[in-house]
Amino acid sequence: MTTATSSSYPPPPPYYRLYKDYERDPASAPDPPPPIQGAFPLFGATYTTDVVLPTLEDQGVRQLYPKGPNIDIKKELRSLNRELQLHILELADILVERPSQYARKVEDISLIFKNMHHLLNSLRPHQARATLIHILERQIQRRKQAVEDIKKRREEARRLLKESLQIVDGQLR
Amino acid sequence: MDIISQLQEQVNTIAMLALNTFGTLQRDAPPVRLSPDYPEPPATNPSEETVNVAEQSKAMSAALVQAAKKFDMLVAALPLSGEDAQLKRIAELQAENEAVGLELEKQLEAAELELKMVQELFNQAADNCLNLKKPD
Repeated sequence: MTTATSSSYPPPPPYYRLYKDYERDPASAPDPPPPIQGAFPLFGATYTTDVVLPTLEDQGVRQLYPKGPNIDIKKELRSLNRELQLHILELADILVERPSQYARKVEDISLIFKNMHHLLNSLRPHQARATLIHILERQIQRRKQAVEDIKKRREEARRLLKESLQIVDGQLR
Repeated sequence: MDIISQLQEQVNTIAMLALNTFGTLQRDAPPVRLSPDYPEPPATNPSEETVNVAEQSKAMSAALVQAAKKFDMLVAALPLSGEDAQLKRIAELQAENEAVGLELEKQLEAAELELKMVQELFNQAADNCLNLKKPD
């Protein structure tokens, strides 16, 4: 039983031996490996470093709104909303008339929901860019403010110097 | 909360309302007569329940439609613009940021120079003061 528990977890990686003389000679130890790019396996699952929203087809869900580079997202969201309301109404109707056929309708409704959420998620990169624009504008405004402040203080300092020079001159004469 | 999260929350709310509507109706609906051959179900008289069911269904469907209208309103409030327009604006802002940053650096350098000069002057003035006022 003890052998089973001791062999079920792998031992820690043996890299610590490479750093035995690190205190005396930091250059003798190897550099850490560079960060991974692309796809990498971790505990049996594959992960990827470039994060992109998977399309609906990748998740096996039918895409209800038209494909293509430029679609009017507001219009599509509104039409999906109308479709959703209609389907809910139809579900109520089916439950009254033919209650055993609810499953197909419920599937349709969940399809519409998945499409809506996917559309909303595809708006997130746009939001990120808008946030970046906002941050840049704020930074520019702060920098301009700092430039104005510095100019003002320099003027003030010069004025004080001139005044003190006049005072000193007045005292000398 | 940002508008996209609000929209996502609204979608979830619509789903929850639909779920609650159908669940409540299915739970509370009075028994229905299947065919004229079967006898009428015994008329149990909690009449307030039937009234409640009618009112509840009206209220719940009103809430559902209300949630859908709010979704439409939120969609209308989305500040969308094309990706190219955004990228162009970002490039413009970066260029302006660079220019303003350079000017800030210049002003800063000039101000530091002046500060050094003033400190030098002050040191000299203090030295002269000390030399003039010799203790006798």
